[in-house]
Amino acid sequence: MEETYEFTKEDLDEIEAIKAKFPEVMPATLPTLWVAQRRFGHVEPPVQRLVAETLGLPESHVHGVATFYTQYYKERKGKYVLDVCTTTSCQLCGGYKMLHYLEDKLGIKAGETTEDGLFSIQSVECLGACGYAPMMQITNDVYVNNLTEEKLDKVIDSLKDGKMPEFESVGMPLLENINNK
Amino acid sequence: MPEIFIDGKRYEFEEGEDRGLLQFILDNGKEVPFFCYHPSMSAPANCRQCYVKVGTPVKNRETGEYELDENGEREIRWFPKMQTSCTTQMQDGMVVHTQETSEEVARAQKDTMELILINHPLDCPICDQAGECPLQIQTYKYGPEGSRFEVKKQHKPKRIQLGPRVTLDAERCINCTRCVRFTDEISESHQLTIVARGDKNYPMAAPGREFDDPYSMNTVDICPVGALTSTDFRFKARVWEMNQTPSIDITNGKGTNIDLWTRDNLVMRITPRFNGEVNDHWMPDAGRDAYQRFNENRLSRPAIKLDGDNQSKTSWNNAIETFAETLESHGPEDVLVVGSPHASVEENYALMKVFNLWGVNNFKFAPHIEEGTGDGFLITDDQAPNTSGVKLLGYEESNDLASEVKNTKIVIMLSDELIDRGVLSKDDLKGKFSILLSTNECDTAKTADLVIPVTCIAEHAASYVNVEGRIQRSFPAKETKYTNRSLDLEMNQGRLDRFGTNFDNWVTEENKVDCAPAWEIMNQLANRMGLDVSFGRGREIMEEIAGSNPAFENVSYERMDNEMGINLNPSNKQEATA
Amino acid sequence: MASDWKSFEPVLIPDIPNLDKIDNYIKNGGYKALEKVVKENGWTPEKVVNEVKEANIRGRGGAGFNAGLKWSFMPKPDGGPRYLACNGDESEPGTFKDRKIFEYNPHLFIEGALIAAYAMQITTIYVYIRGEYYSWIKMMEKALQDARDKGFIGKNLFGTDFSVEFEVTGGAGAYICGEETSMLESLEGKRGYPRVKPPFPAQKGLWGRPTTINNIETLANVPGVINNGANWFKNIGAENHPGPVLYGISGHVNRPGVYELPSGVPVMDLINEVAQGVRGGKKLKALIPGGSSTPVLRADQLDGVSMDADSLREAGSMMGTAGMMVMDEDTDMVDVLWRISHFYHHESCGQCTPCREGTGWLEKILLKIKNGEGEIRDLDLLLDLTTQMEGRTICALADAAAWPVRHTINRFRDEFEARCKKSVHAVA
Ligand SMILES: Cc1cc2nc3c(=O)[nH]c(=O)nc-3n(C[C@H](O)[C@H](O)[C@H](O)COP(=O)(O)O)c2cc1C
Ligand code: SF4
Ligand code: SF4
Ligand code: SF4
Ligand code: FES
Ligand code: FES
Repeated sequence: MEETYEFTKEDLDEIEAIKAKFPEVMPATLPTLWVAQRRFGHVEPPVQRLVAETLGLPESHVHGVATFYTQYYKERKGKYVLDVCTTTSCQLCGGYKMLHYLEDKLGIKAGETTEDGLFSIQSVECLGACGYAPMMQITNDVYVNNLTEEKLDKVIDSLKDGKMPEFESVGMPLLENINNK
Repeated sequence: MPEIFIDGKRYEFEEGEDRGLLQFILDNGKEVPFFCYHPSMSAPANCRQCYVKVGTPVKNRETGEYELDENGEREIRWFPKMQTSCTTQMQDGMVVHTQETSEEVARAQKDTMELILINHPLDCPICDQAGECPLQIQTYKYGPEGSRFEVKKQHKPKRIQLGPRVTLDAERCINCTRCVRFTDEISESHQLTIVARGDKNYPMAAPGREFDDPYSMNTVDICPVGALTSTDFRFKARVWEMNQTPSIDITNGKGTNIDLWTRDNLVMRITPRFNGEVNDHWMPDAGRDAYQRFNENRLSRPAIKLDGDNQSKTSWNNAIETFAETLESHGPEDVLVVGSPHASVEENYALMKVFNLWGVNNFKFAPHIEEGTGDGFLITDDQAPNTSGVKLLGYEESNDLASEVKNTKIVIMLSDELIDRGVLSKDDLKGKFSILLSTNECDTAKTADLVIPVTCIAEHAASYVNVEGRIQRSFPAKETKYTNRSLDLEMNQGRLDRFGTNFDNWVTEENKVDCAPAWEIMNQLANRMGLDVSFGRGREIMEEIAGSNPAFENVSYERMDNEMGINLNPSNKQEATA
Repeated sequence: MASDWKSFEPVLIPDIPNLDKIDNYIKNGGYKALEKVVKENGWTPEKVVNEVKEANIRGRGGAGFNAGLKWSFMPKPDGGPRYLACNGDESEPGTFKDRKIFEYNPHLFIEGALIAAYAMQITTIYVYIRGEYYSWIKMMEKALQDARDKGFIGKNLFGTDFSVEFEVTGGAGAYICGEETSMLESLEGKRGYPRVKPPFPAQKGLWGRPTTINNIETLANVPGVINNGANWFKNIGAENHPGPVLYGISGHVNRPGVYELPSGVPVMDLINEVAQGVRGGKKLKALIPGGSSTPVLRADQLDGVSMDADSLREAGSMMGTAGMMVMDEDTDMVDVLWRISHFYHHESCGQCTPCREGTGWLEKILLKIKNGEGEIRDLDLLLDLTTQMEGRTICALADAAAWPVRHTINRFRDEFEARCKKSVHAVA
């Protein structure tokens, strides 16, 4: 039996607010898929259908959009999705090493989910944090910068306790020391 | 008039022309290879196959005159990059080089072909599209000689049932998006989308949904490769084994222009034929199934009821004799002639003329309308191809044929399954002598006392007037027991024998139906009854109608052929020109 | 001129704490430029356009087009909606600068966008931010709400008849949506397929209406130009590419990060002084100067080269987004190029043939070479393919994929040949 999905009143209010930003309904497609993914954890076909129905748009349209953008989970993932960047700057700074460390630690390969459903690992493209390489993003949310094996150990432990790392503000390095030279 | 120079030759075009350069080139009988462009849809310019080199003459800012070079030729400013001709708007004085006159263009086209082919399977021997495949043809003409692709091909889903009638082989897809654009822009069902991204993408319906658009099979026609194929037609025939004959869709009143594809006197498939005034490039899926009616369950040889309800086959002579005797044992006032919106103008005319001469004046027909089935596009409420035609001939529309039948003794019916479609019941015909001239087995045929098989639209040249009052005609596409395609002038003339070869063998006798055109049967009947009428072929009958019925004034097969049909309705004519 | 970069005072992200708080931003002179152009009669929309054109703010999104000139392409208002779409997609590898503006000085960008809106008579501004920047989208939402509450967004700004809406929206994982017309499609809620041009966005942009697209950093430069004049701006940094630049330095350096400095800083100063040199005392091998699509330069090509469009063009590369990726002597260029090709293969929208098929082919050949199974002739095939892709597609992603391949192979040919099998062809 296929699970049924419904938006909450809150979700629907949010979707209405999204629609109000645009002169048409279609632009609400991406943000509404986000609302759905944050609510249900994925946008499997029944969820895509719900989005289409809610917005009154063709299902094929929503499907085409959902499959174009990589951040939408077209199938279920672990509770925590560890997106390890392996693009150039991260590659240079050990992104693959971090990826493989995680793979070994969790006993799964990139693209897989642990049996307990807690973790998925993905090797992803540049996340726009190249100066803080290697880095990863957790479940489309916080960035964890300057990864080391120790740092990964800590993060995994805290995630197992249900604690997401805090947002880390990486400032602009000051040039004083140079200016003073 | 603005001018344009293509491969050194001068052409003129209209000011404010909205055709793109590619269409203009094609309309002038030249060629540039292309895949994604389709004249009836938006141009995404995604195949990048139609490259040409384009330049415009340099004008002196002050004088407005063209600048000339040292040879006195116009100085041309070439666009920095080659342009896709499908999206290039023509400008006065523009100079264009196609692959015929530019190495650079030929090279670019070959480069694109090479890239299109790297992930394309080498399926031609088992691919339905082979023989009519733009990719195959253009590879042959413009493609690279060999392949430099030595790494692994991208694999994608194959044999996907997109819907009840369309099968997808995603590996053959070249992502031209014609199919998706069709459902977005033409049928507006929005059932298809491209999924995924990059070289993994291909067209799909939403998960768990069927591509059951009532126009779905048009995507098979416009798919430039064998990615979308007709589930019904898959692997049935190779294109080069078939003949292509122009005809008209008989499954509704729109008069959609079609082609019948025949092999060995069987119609193998039906595809739409372009007519900008009627159906553009499209047809409804329902019309494509009609080919089965042309091949299967055909009435072959006359049949007669001898003892009670049992029919048995009889000879043509006996059938005409029975027909005549039945009439002669009654008077014209005892006869009701039921014309048919499902039969052609010529057939209805022949019946009316003969019985009129004999003195009958009771000519009726029952329209075949199903309210609410029309869609404002190519499907009409009218289920018959010639309702307007029967009306114009003078058959009176009857919405209660049953009571008309009550007051008569002999009912002569032309190609209309009146019992099957609920206009009459079997009981209505009890105690009457009923004669049916028709094409296919049906309850009506089973009930009739005398059944005379007539040719269907695939076997004769005849005309049909659509709901908008446009008269269009058919060509014989298959032989009957009594015709021979090498002797039948209409058949030879009309066959757009694009793929037929000298080697095709039309030998299977069972595929030829033992039937005759209704007007020939009328000839024999008139002859037997001593009436002074004789009909020639459809072409001559139409001349006769044009000369006697003002509604058909100036109509001829020649004009229909030249003008792709003629609008009979003066008010429509004005609308069209307004 | 550029040598005095050491005394440069940052203007985009000055060293003032809590500028993201609107009150603090206002206290430090924020929204004055907006008020000036909207309220003062002398500042007609045309004058704003001309001032910005004169300043020569070259687009910081990668293409380096004069912003004011771009604004001047907008047709005359016809009473219908007109849009400004701010490009915060920031996904060219090596680029991580616009997020600094979202985080540390969002109102500077908002003010710049509002001034642009005034100059072009825009009715609605959208800022499109890549989906991965969830945290920064939230920051922008907050900043926009604050600006709206203060009356800088909405109806009748400063009591005039100038009204403008400003909304933030996000992507969902697609590099291609940084390409301006792909971004418009994505904003319209569709698959991010770049559009065929012409028509250009200024004619037919969002929902078929006139639209201008600018990068976040580009717009953040606008208030400074209004406050201090075009000349002030033109006197910062390199002559042909003036103004402050947010340099993103990543890779094998001791202190990677985003630095605001004048344009035209010598490349070696940026590596050695600003980023404090190559990590572990290693030698510099190569630099990708402006995001992964810009051609790599060997260390020996960097002498006297500075970060401005002209100097980099002369050296054989481009300014791009000023996202500099530094590589040390141990770097395996085959690996690097394969990974770059993997990126463009992964991110091709798949719409047009040469890019859809070409990016995959490039990557597959490079993988073969990386695995030691390539042949010398594969290198020539790769070079051939780049010419089959470049300039033959709907958008510039194919170019971005082709350039690195061509230049990395040409500039490190030995290294690539050494990885190839010694085939018959190589001997002959
Ligand atoms: C493949 C591709 C990706 C791009 N990505 C970005 C991007 O992430 N951010 C950006 O501002 N511009 C990007 N651009 C450039 C934009 O198309 C556009 O030129 C720019 O946003 C215009 O703003 P500007 O003139 O202010 O630089 C990209 C271009 C291409 C071809
Ligand atoms: S689509 Fe055309 S080229 Fe491809 S296998 Fe079929 S016939 Fe051959
Ligand atoms: S299936 Fe055919 S029509 Fe559809 S995109 Fe592919 S090649 Fe084009
Ligand atoms: S060049 Fe690539 S990314 Fe750009 S439109 Fe074509 S396929 Fe899409
Ligand atoms: S390369 Fe990893 S964040 Fe940019
Ligand atoms: S026909 Fe496909 S690009 Fe012109």
